[in-house]
Amino acid sequence: MTLVLTPTSVEEAVALLAEHDEAMPISGGATLVAMRNASLVTPSHLVSLHMIPELHGITRTKAGGVRIGAMARHCETAACADLTGTLFVLRRAASMIANRVVRNMGTMGGSVANADPAADYLPALSCCDAVLSVAGPDGTRELSIHDYIEDWYETALEDGEIITAITLPAPQTAASGYHKIARVSGDFATASCAMALDPEGTGLRVAIGACGPGPIRDRDGEAALRGKLDDPAAVAEFAGRLVALADPVDDVRGSAEYRLRLIPRLVTSSLVELTKQKELA
Amino acid sequence: MAKKTLYSLTLNGEEIEVASSAGATLLETLREDLRVLSSKRGCNQGVCGACTVLLDDKPVRACLTLTAHCEGRKLQTMEGMGGDPIMATLQRHMVESGGVQCGFCTGGVLISARNLLSEDPSPSRETVKTALSGNLCRCTGYRTIIDAVCGAAEELAQ
Amino acid sequence: MTLVQPAPVFLGGAVGQSVAKPDNLEKVQGRAEYIADLYRPGMLHGAILASPHAHARIRGYDLTEAMAAPGVVAIITGDDVGDGRMGAFIKDEHAIARGKVLYVGEPVAAVAARTEEEARHACRLICVDYEELPAILTPEAGLAEDAPILHEDLASYVKIFDAGSEGNLASRTQLIEGDVDAAWAECDVIVEGEFTTQPQAHVSMEPCGALADIDATGRVTLWSANQSVFRVQANVCESLGLPMSKLRSLTPRVGAGFGNKMEPHIQPITVALAIKAKRPVKLILSREEDFEMVRARHPYRVRMKTGAKSDGTLVARECEVLADCGAFADDSPGVLGYSLLMCGGPYRIPHLKASGKLVYTNKLRFGAFRGFGNPQVLFAGEQQIDQIGEKLGLDPFAIRRKNMLHEGDQWFVGPRIGSNGLGLCLDAVEQAAKGPRADGSPRNFGLAVTAHISGLLGTGAIVRMLEDGTISLNTGATDIGQGSDTVLAQICAEELKLPFDHVVVASPDTDGSPYNWGTTASRVTYTTGRAVKGAAKKVVDQAMVHAAEMLECDIDDLELREGGRIGQRNANSDVTFAQISGRAHWAVGGPLVGSQTLVFDEPTHDPKRAIALGLPFPRIGVFSFAALGVDVDIDETSGQVSVHEAWSAADVGRAINPRLVEVQLHGGFVQGLGYALYEEMVWDGARLANPSLMDYKVPTSRDVPDAIHTFIIEDPEPTGPFGAKGAGEIGLNTVPGAIANAVATATRTRHLHLPLTGERVLAGLITPGTTPD
Repeated sequence: MTLVLTPTSVEEAVALLAEHDEAMPISGGATLVAMRNASLVTPSHLVSLHMIPELHGITRTKAGGVRIGAMARHCETAACADLTGTLFVLRRAASMIANRVVRNMGTMGGSVANADPAADYLPALSCCDAVLSVAGPDGTRELSIHDYIEDWYETALEDGEIITAITLPAPQTAASGYHKIARVSGDFATASCAMALDPEGTGLRVAIGACGPGPIRDRDGEAALRGKLDDPAAVAEFAGRLVALADPVDDVRGSAEYRLRLIPRLVTSSLVELTKQKELA
Repeated sequence: MAKKTLYSLTLNGEEIEVASSAGATLLETLREDLRVLSSKRGCNQGVCGACTVLLDDKPVRACLTLTAHCEGRKLQTMEGMGGDPIMATLQRHMVESGGVQCGFCTGGVLISARNLLSEDPSPSRETVKTALSGNLCRCTGYRTIIDAVCGAAEELAQ
Repeated sequence: MTLVQPAPVFLGGAVGQSVAKPDNLEKVQGRAEYIADLYRPGMLHGAILASPHAHARIRGYDLTEAMAAPGVVAIITGDDVGDGRMGAFIKDEHAIARGKVLYVGEPVAAVAARTEEEARHACRLICVDYEELPAILTPEAGLAEDAPILHEDLASYVKIFDAGSEGNLASRTQLIEGDVDAAWAECDVIVEGEFTTQPQAHVSMEPCGALADIDATGRVTLWSANQSVFRVQANVCESLGLPMSKLRSLTPRVGAGFGNKMEPHIQPITVALAIKAKRPVKLILSREEDFEMVRARHPYRVRMKTGAKSDGTLVARECEVLADCGAFADDSPGVLGYSLLMCGGPYRIPHLKASGKLVYTNKLRFGAFRGFGNPQVLFAGEQQIDQIGEKLGLDPFAIRRKNMLHEGDQWFVGPRIGSNGLGLCLDAVEQAAKGPRADGSPRNFGLAVTAHISGLLGTGAIVRMLEDGTISLNTGATDIGQGSDTVLAQICAEELKLPFDHVVVASPDTDGSPYNWGTTASRVTYTTGRAVKGAAKKVVDQAMVHAAEMLECDIDDLELREGGRIGQRNANSDVTFAQISGRAHWAVGGPLVGSQTLVFDEPTHDPKRAIALGLPFPRIGVFSFAALGVDVDIDETSGQVSVHEAWSAADVGRAINPRLVEVQLHGGFVQGLGYALYEEMVWDGARLANPSLMDYKVPTSRDVPDAIHTFIIEDPEPTGPFGAKGAGEIGLNTVPGAIANAVATATRTRHLHLPLTGERVLAGLITPGTTPD
């Protein structure tokens, strides 16, 4: 039996999580309730984040960026008109999670906290250079998405910490997209590629999903590739660096070998697609 | 017996109180405590869609929804759709198109379709397929279901 | 012979009209009651403890803590069920594990408690003392000389056919016609390959469940999700040692079956719990349990070799099957035997040799699944037909037409073919699929053809005329959603010349329904339809006697008229069924009841023609035929296959309800699509790695093509009711074979292994001409 607690502020939520050893925070429930139904987790208390107003909503920041409350549902992110240009990738990723009904339930904070390497947000957020706002017993802090994943399903979140918001830098006018390979519509990714083309069309940001514990991002490689996007050898070399950084596993969605094979193909096809988009624009 | 908590909500237009075990899912509350049985347990993981219900007019998975989160909210199941003309049109098309075989997925399909038509009264075939992609059907191959929803939308548009 | 398109007209619901199923109404209102929706006063909820081991001896149980847990009323283990064993072909299975466990997930103990949560909680408190044994996870390992034996007492088990069981070999079958070994010398072209197919889960949207109640005399009433109330009764009574008269088996609405609910699942356990608790018990499996405990389609290894003359005439084929049985034989010997009967395809092949072995392994039982072993051998055989055609420059239609069997020919080992619309199926697909796509691009086309039987075993029907002249039809056939109640009512109404809605269909009940082996083997329309037609005819005959007396005329002068009237030919006077039935009920002769039973009794094997060893089905059925064309797209990034367009033509003799036939073809196609492209049960060691809908993926509405064109071919089967034969499985058989042929067209790579995942197809795209692992 699990008791559901309903705090109305972040401070109260953090205090409740600290008070009960086997308490877990719950947002949309799309993953946590499914896990509990399968007896994979048996929390004594569920600390619901539903009634905390500051966790809801998507707003523009003063810096021109976008702040997404941890409780923002996938459907809100998928429909958010502020996610343009380099941030459009996140909107695309949100629209490809599961299906319409689950997108009405699941939240970005919940998905990011669950840290499933095959889920869609992490590579998209990595591509956007997102920053996570975190609250815990020791106060609040900010955490770069690039420092967030530490190992398979292990994150930099400390015990009792919750994600309160995800902040994205100001969008640049450019093309971005999310390409996902999955067995069927709505499945978790076998492999995915979040990519943003810079406004000049000379540089890329690329994050590969589902091919390691966290998104694969090679910022040095991106710098080296700058200005050489029309050089297939340079693109291939860059993709090779991503393959070298990948650490995929065999699972029911595909073998590690297949995933390694997909990475350069995803990079190439995503680049072709974005270049086409940019030309159309 | 597990300790029960009292919840208040509006079910199919009627304000009710229900005692359900703490931490219960909406699916457990509907089926075991209220005997509202149209919402089915097909997977209990939110994948199959057979438990789909409308919460504040949005389709959600009853199996993934905590009853605690329904406090004070408006819930609709197939049992409460009798007077809804859009649902009646959908139902008639499903009956006639062959979109109903074993029927286990049918309620969830209709809830999703009903919500789609309230948000997009003239959906394209592709939109219908996307809207129903969270409702698994193993009998029909989907074709007759999609035909039914498109047919209902066309009729309602006239 | 005609080609018909379904027309949703309602003209009384006679044969050939696409009447909407009456059960659709309650289903669209959310009012249909499935097993999980049934409640009884004082009812307990059951839960099962599953084995964590693949192979272990049970040394003992400690139930102390579980019995003391809140809400617990009764617990059963193997100690409670006696030594009765059940099984359709080999009686090798207890109601619940007894002495040993044979797979991870096998039920070991079960609890009845006040709530499901309490029952599940108590299960976790049961202690079982196991002695682990080495596990057999592949058929090859099972046949190894020093392999640990799963069923030590196999020799003493009851078997209903010459199974040849030995060691871990559950059964073997060999069928030989002609002289294959000598015939290879006559062949100008020979193709050979070793194919493998994966296990597929049925994934009926409704998980299995049962509810048992016990009356004051100790007699049990059992409702369950099933495909045959009679097989449920037989299995429960065999495994629990109950006389069949002590168990009544009933069915609520069933949330589909596909073979999964034909033989037992947890009905025996539920009954044992109810008997022990002396209270009603309902047990509903979780989706995960439904994956792990029930049954699945067999993984096959098929070695096939086919030879032809340079003009394309097929000469010889050899097929060797190694099938994984899982822990219990279930329907497996039948599946293996049927595969071998079907392995030649619908072709004249004078020299044909088929042999197969079925081997016990420590996995859940494999069993009946729509197609029943046909799709696996077809995946091999139909690719080889294309390979021969490619070598000889014959297109896929030409080589198939050249070799196909015709009406009156004998099928492999002997059965005579009745109606055969295969040529028309090929014509329909070729006509519709010819030319490029609408945008002018070439098609990636693949073709496969198949035949499938409908028939097998006993069935019956009782037609009763009610006092007002309307009809009650009772057949004992479970409608699992496919619409057999509707089809049987249409047959009955047609024979009686009544409007469809004057016939009500009784729900199957072992107390009151005539025997029906089951809703399986594409058989209900054909076999039960025959019984219904015969029983209805008897009611007409009885009514004629009354009418002759009432109209004071000769019976030969009477005619049956539309709407339930009998009148004198060339005269206006007539009497209604209501008048006749009233007279029969209250004055003369007694109520009108017609009954007809039959068993399919045409022999499979012609000993003058072929050798057959270990043939599990001595009398199988009549043949339906089908052809499927597909045009596929291959995603260049991922290698993933999607179907752009499909043309499915089936000769069903006569479509009693064309719409329902069409939906069988759609549904079979999509279930076959999942099987061909991505569905696969994967084991991680001895444990199923993907027993959930999160990890085991079935097609969604976005994964299927809009353009699935269906063509119903009607070549009436002389023995079928109004010419009808089966349509349930034939739409699935061809899918993996046709898609593999289309993928070969698109990528110039032959795939010998299912499923055709993006991973495999990409490997073939990168290095064409190879055969990817």
